[in-house]
Amino acid sequence: MKDPDSEAQLPLPYIAPESGPQVIQLPARAKGLAKQKPSKAAMDEARVKSVAKRSKPNSLWYALYLPQLRELNSALQKKYLDQLAGHMQSVSSTVSFHPQALICEVRSSLKYFAGIDVIHQKLQKLVEEQLQQWDLADGFFYAASPTVSGSLLLARSGHNALVYRPENLRSALGQLSTDVLELNKEQRRRLLNMGIRHLRDIWRLPSDGLCKRFGSNFVNQLNKALGKAAEPTLNYIPPPAFAASYDLPYGIENLDRLLPIADALLAQLCDFLRRRDLSTSSLVLFLLHEKRDSTEINIGLRMASRSQQHLTLLLKAHFDKLSIPAPVVAIKIEVKKFDAFFTKSDSLLKDESSGSPSYSDSNLIQFIEQLQARFGDNHVKSVSNATQHCPEYASLQLNYKDKLNRRGRIAMPVEVSENPRPLWLLKEPKQLNINKGRLFYRKPIAIVSGPERIETHWWSGIDVCRDYYVARENNGSRLWIYREKNGKRNWYLHGFFA
Amino acid sequence: MTTIQNYSDTQLPYQNQYQSAQADAFHGVSSSDIDELLQGNPNLWRGCDMAGQGVQGRSTGFPQLDAILPGHGWPDRGLMEVITPHWGMGELQLLIPLMRSIVEQGKWILWISPPYLLYAPALVQAGINTDQVLVVKLDTSCKDALWSMEKALQTENCGLVLAWQNWLPTKVLRRLQLAANTGDTLGVFFKHHDSEHSPSPVRLKIEDSYSENAGFNESEVTVIKARGNFRSRSANINLYQQA
Repeated sequence: MKDPDSEAQLPLPYIAPESGPQVIQLPARAKGLAKQKPSKAAMDEARVKSVAKRSKPNSLWYALYLPQLRELNSALQKKYLDQLAGHMQSVSSTVSFHPQALICEVRSSLKYFAGIDVIHQKLQKLVEEQLQQWDLADGFFYAASPTVSGSLLLARSGHNALVYRPENLRSALGQLSTDVLELNKEQRRRLLNMGIRHLRDIWRLPSDGLCKRFGSNFVNQLNKALGKAAEPTLNYIPPPAFAASYDLPYGIENLDRLLPIADALLAQLCDFLRRRDLSTSSLVLFLLHEKRDSTEINIGLRMASRSQQHLTLLLKAHFDKLSIPAPVVAIKIEVKKFDAFFTKSDSLLKDESSGSPSYSDSNLIQFIEQLQARFGDNHVKSVSNATQHCPEYASLQLNYKDKLNRRGRIAMPVEVSENPRPLWLLKEPKQLNINKGRLFYRKPIAIVSGPERIETHWWSGIDVCRDYYVARENNGSRLWIYREKNGKRNWYLHGFFA
Repeated sequence: MTTIQNYSDTQLPYQNQYQSAQADAFHGVSSSDIDELLQGNPNLWRGCDMAGQGVQGRSTGFPQLDAILPGHGWPDRGLMEVITPHWGMGELQLLIPLMRSIVEQGKWILWISPPYLLYAPALVQAGINTDQVLVVKLDTSCKDALWSMEKALQTENCGLVLAWQNWLPTKVLRRLQLAANTGDTLGVFFKHHDSEHSPSPVRLKIEDSYSENAGFNESEVTVIKARGNFRSRSANINLYQQA
């Protein structure tokens, strides 16, 4: 790493020695007062000031600038920076995002990694590997200085520079061209007309004049770079991850005995979720076997939850129908998806009369999830009406899950025929016999009402052309029967008026 | 002390004397108060007198049936058995008004492995919101059906649980009865055969009937057993009045 600042090549001081005497700079009057009577407030103020002063040179920001990202779209940029930020977390706990650049605080890690060179080499290796994976040019610029903007400016200018001390920052930044500043066209033109090419030219100008001509943002930008203004950063927070496992002392075949252990793991999970104010809607439980693939139990929730009781119930339902191929030697829980946690608020006044809208659905959802966990999604059906003339297609049985997804899309008014429809429909119409001139199913049949002509689906090749009747079997059953209008003119049983 | 005073009052006939003694024994409590006490306590069961019993049921939607059911309607919770010799006798028509009121309450109706396809247009015609209907289709074991029935009965949001099971041991029925009481729900079994010693609080039977004026339009609904009823009673009801 080339350092423009030879003085800074010395071993790092943790607190700049000059910062000691400079600590307290109270106004003369206040100083006098403090001498006479060192009040508690004044002492506090002094301490705060000293901390503030001392903490400033204490940070060293390492900037990583990737100009090749500029050509990518913003979503991809964000994705790549996110991943790189994950890598950067291996050297620093404070990583923040900037356009095409990442910045991390490394002063606090210098001692651990024994110098900035080790940190740089570590990061270089990680970043270059990652860039190769993405098929991007593997060059990048870097810089380290006591301020965030300073590092960013140095890195953007292409100076791979290292500045340890804040007092050297002014000269290090001075040699940069004004192009690295974020300026608009008008400001750029003005600087050019004033004959300013480098930042050091700006240092010579009075700041109030600059403020007048270029706006406070411009001056603020420079002050930040020099460490004269505070520079808050938005830090990268890694996405939450949860995995917990438990090794059993010996293989267990009985799932009932596994349940308390799984329960304890779930308790850990719920604790984790509660602390982070999250909930989960999808998790996996692995039952590990010796010399075999592990058994996976996927637990999906319709509504994200962090209630241990609910999760345990679901797990129990899964265990009930599960058969394991071999004894379980270890158990592991992983969360696939985290969700934000929302609490349900109860209404202050229980509204019993209006009923439906205020009725809390949480119990029901838990119940349906238990059903789904035990029988699978295919066995929990919802019934819905379809606007179809043909009786077979007028009723839909969808999986409950699919229906929930559909509900948003379909909002059609329900249209139902005025003619009687039976509650039971046969999967396949059953042909009826004619016995001694009378229709016969289990007993002779007599027609009660009808006919209702249904002619449809001629376009699909299956020509439906039927006359429907309500009929009464001799034993009291009410039947829905029809006669084909074409072909053999057979009679069929299609439903029961149960 | 009071009896002695009353015996001294010789003018009264024996009957009156006894009654006043009784009344005095209650320190002036009138008979209407006693009636109120008797009516108000659902745990008191008075022989053949099935009036009210303190529990006001949910109207069945059929006045003739209300008249023969204790509490003038379906019970709020518990198990019911509906016995028909075969499916399609109007056993669901009998429950349609109940289903409607349950759906209106915002509760759900669960159908556990029905024998045929449940046909949505008929539900819509009957005024039942199909969004609150859930069908559990099981081609496997009776055990699973009972498991889901118990869970459903314990869930307050399931107002009505319908199941088709022919024979169930008493122990299982008791357990379901308990579940229904905790969840405040009503479970209905549809069966072909009556089992005399079933612990379900309500048992109904639907039979075909023929009468001169109604022809085949009416079915005979017999309340074989209802908690609060002394003997079975039956009524002829036109179950298809809505259709």
